[in-house]
Amino acid sequence: MGKRISLFISVLFVFLLVLITQSSVKGDSEYIGSEACKDCHGDYYKSFIKSIHNKKVIPGTPVNRDGCESCHGPGAQHAEKGGGRGVAILAFGKKVDAKAKSSKCLNCHEDSKQMAFWDMSKHRSASISCDNCHTVHSMKEKNLRAMDPELCFGCHTAIKIRANKQSRHPIKEGKTRCHDCHNPHGSFGTKMIKADGINELCYKCHAEKRGPFMWQHAPVEENCLNCHTPHGSNHLKLLTSKPPLLCQSCHDASRHPGTIYTRNQTFQGGAPSNRMYARACLNCHSNIHGSVGPAFPRGKAQVR
Amino acid sequence: MKLKITIFSVILSLLPFPDIFAEESEFKGEITLTGVFRDINGNEAKFNEYNDSRNGAYGRLRLNYDTEKYFVDFKADDIAYDTQYYRLGGGMWGKFRADIYYNEFPHNFTFGARSFYQGIGGNYLTFPDPAPNPNIFSWNEFDYSIQRRNYGGRLGLEMLKPFYFDVSATREKRDGLYPIGVSLRNPGGPALEQLPMPIDYATTNIKVEGGYAKKPFFFSLSYFYSQFENDNNKLYFRNPAALPAFATTPDIFTLPPDNHYFKLAFKGAVKLPMNSKFSTNLAFSRAKSEADLISYYFNDAGAATPLTLSDPKFHGKIDTQNYDFVLSSNPISFLEGKIFYKHYKTSNKSDEIVTTDITSTPPAEVNDLFDYKKDTVGVELGFKLPAKFYLNTFYHYIRTKREREDISENKDDLYSVELRWNGLDFMVPKVGYERLHRRAKFEGPTDPDDIEFWVRRFDAAAKIRDTYKASIDISPIENLNFSVSYKHKKTDYENTIMGLTGEKSDLINIDGDFTVGKFVKLFGYFGYERIDSNQFQRQFTPPPPTNAGNPITGPTSSARFNWDAKQKEKEYDYGIGAEIYVIPKKLTFVLQHDYVRSNGFVDYTVFRALAPGETQDNIDLPQYDDYRQESYMIKAVYNVVKGLSLTVGYAYERFKYKDAQYEGFRYAVGAFPANNTAALTGAYAKPSYSTNIVFLGATYKF
Repeated sequence: MGKRISLFISVLFVFLLVLITQSSVKGDSEYIGSEACKDCHGDYYKSFIKSIHNKKVIPGTPVNRDGCESCHGPGAQHAEKGGGRGVAILAFGKKVDAKAKSSKCLNCHEDSKQMAFWDMSKHRSASISCDNCHTVHSMKEKNLRAMDPELCFGCHTAIKIRANKQSRHPIKEGKTRCHDCHNPHGSFGTKMIKADGINELCYKCHAEKRGPFMWQHAPVEENCLNCHTPHGSNHLKLLTSKPPLLCQSCHDASRHPGTIYTRNQTFQGGAPSNRMYARACLNCHSNIHGSVGPAFPRGKAQVR
Repeated sequence: MKLKITIFSVILSLLPFPDIFAEESEFKGEITLTGVFRDINGNEAKFNEYNDSRNGAYGRLRLNYDTEKYFVDFKADDIAYDTQYYRLGGGMWGKFRADIYYNEFPHNFTFGARSFYQGIGGNYLTFPDPAPNPNIFSWNEFDYSIQRRNYGGRLGLEMLKPFYFDVSATREKRDGLYPIGVSLRNPGGPALEQLPMPIDYATTNIKVEGGYAKKPFFFSLSYFYSQFENDNNKLYFRNPAALPAFATTPDIFTLPPDNHYFKLAFKGAVKLPMNSKFSTNLAFSRAKSEADLISYYFNDAGAATPLTLSDPKFHGKIDTQNYDFVLSSNPISFLEGKIFYKHYKTSNKSDEIVTTDITSTPPAEVNDLFDYKKDTVGVELGFKLPAKFYLNTFYHYIRTKREREDISENKDDLYSVELRWNGLDFMVPKVGYERLHRRAKFEGPTDPDDIEFWVRRFDAAAKIRDTYKASIDISPIENLNFSVSYKHKKTDYENTIMGLTGEKSDLINIDGDFTVGKFVKLFGYFGYERIDSNQFQRQFTPPPPTNAGNPITGPTSSARFNWDAKQKEKEYDYGIGAEIYVIPKKLTFVLQHDYVRSNGFVDYTVFRALAPGETQDNIDLPQYDDYRQESYMIKAVYNVVKGLSLTVGYAYERFKYKDAQYEGFRYAVGAFPANNTAALTGAYAKPSYSTNIVFLGATYKF
């Protein structure tokens, strides 16, 4: 642990050193006003004037500042050079650096609780800029380019595939959305979840599993994801595997926890067992998330 | 109901401003009415798992009123169906915004389940004397289904910028039946009853947050309160295995206890020189519950046996503390980084209840109190390299300490490196590697004859997990987007003899869309996933001999032997579709086909002499959550006049499921009377279905 603390302090020191020795650079600018943009960019101008960015009653909106140039930067040189995509202007195209684009939005939107922790977002470090998800010139809901989850599935194709599995949250039905659990703008939680821990997040909808229970199931208390996978599973209840093998991978003991249950113990086998057919272990251990049942019979085993 | 009225009153009192209609305004909306005719064969509950698809008319409405100062927005979906959703929002631009909503949806498990019990839906299940009726066709039919009804509202004040204030409240009612099971004897045996557990839950959440957001500072203080109420804290049922003398004494299954929870959190950030920021998150939460304990149980002979409890009530209490400190910086254009520390700790302060049963050995049991602590420190660095290469790296060190008898501590080293190249405008390739090295402090038994000496539970076991990732996004022309990704993950539980010893997965995804001129847009995806896992186990009866549980030196016989199981899952799915603009902006055809197929297999090996008729192959499970889901849809959209469009379409969907644990399903296993019989209700059995749907709709936009 001592070595790691030393490493931590060393990295912190290097960071601070770099901070102290660097300085920022600002350039000069010449503004020509939105009316000048209108002549060449009529469609964009029309959509801008219908957008929230043209609301004069909202302090700090582009219309209250430099209009189009609030985001695109001063246009004098662009106009002088006869225009052209990205010529002496910030055009928000694919070729433009993501941070440069986002910084324009953050000039205003960083002063909000939504964007306060953008610097911690995985999207930021993956060079995702605001305009990848939002279209600025519209009056759509949150100006999103598509609705959640289609928007997220555009990049997170593996999650899109998982959401097609037979056991899943109601994502396709629109009743659970990616942003119910994740904050795309950054959070302190792992995987940008909207909670300090996994279980805290799950309990927001599954409050009955919060307990606190008298008989706890330790791996359940520590992390729901020990047994469940949230984006979709081939097994019922979003389980990572299937009872009895899922349970047996931890519980090996004399008698039934260590007993092999094969095809012979299914309904069609020669010796059907209630530890194998249907819900297997969960046929009896129904209070697997915790119980306030009596210690006998086997309170620890969550059978009552 | 009070909460509903309060929320509606608050919102409505804020909406009617006298000059709302006085200014230049825009009113727009959309109304859709769709008629659905469907025919379903098979399991309707699975088809409608989260839906309420039936023959009838579905309504959808969008209204929006926007002025320079005010806005009002109304949405309604699936009006009058079990999936209905309504939302009314509004406010003054830059001053405040508020909304109220109502949302409901079902979660259907199984329709037409059966049970010999009477009183289904309540929390007292019984059957007429003297014993359950063995004729399953006379049993009561019911549906396993839960309906969620959620309503709430939110008010956000922006008028005091840079200060802000948000308050939100939600209440969710959940009603229905859910399958649970109970063994009738202690400690278990073949006698099992599946029971419909009544769900009558209500969860109320309230969140209040205030803060300040103006560079260089951000501060917020929030309070979240959640209350869970269960109308039924116990499910009483007549135990068919009870002795006649105890026939009127109900057996009891405990249901989730009422609980309440609060969380107080402070979040803050301050911008530092050189494009840096320090952020923190400090939170404290407490969950509490209370339950009346049960003072008897049914022993193996079927007699209600009294228990002595040190306290008839259980008071649960768990406190959680979380601290995050993050310093992030982008001091120079080619370097950005983050260092952080996170502390997460739960403290279990629940009652320890001593339960005594003089007939048991040992006669007393005390509940263990589990809690844990997790500390994480990490460094993340991103480099902008020459030739438009980007390198992202991180290292996290995680130490977990927990109150557990087997593995009390983990130390994790997590390394990651990812290289991205943005050198070409039309293509972004990425490769990445991540390694988790987990060490585990095992404090279990030191005697190798105790099987626990060999068992390492996978959630905490020492392991090395390697993940390799590669992907490429290609857009060679503006109308073509294409991406391919591959991920390989391998986990080796290096010190595990008994339990999960290894896992491996491979995942391939392909996704793309292509717009051909102004006439056709094609899109499709393909996914393939293979998951393999191995586990090694031992079956044995208790000692003697003392080494009965020892997998190395222990005896091998028909009752005592080692075995392993290899689980294999292969799944692929694809979807293809096209939008054909037959008459651009007038007539569009939409075609879509999706297909998912999963094949599972469990390969068992027993390390003992095979029984007569047994082979190493005929014990395997050839169907392990195997399913195939396919759907086809064709739709035509015709824009009659500006604002009015008509839609007509047909969809077919089929789901076929096979699983060794459900094939040949029986409601009763064993002969009645029921004290040695397993009586099932049909939960999750036979989920296959096929359905044809025709739909016809009109949308009017104004």
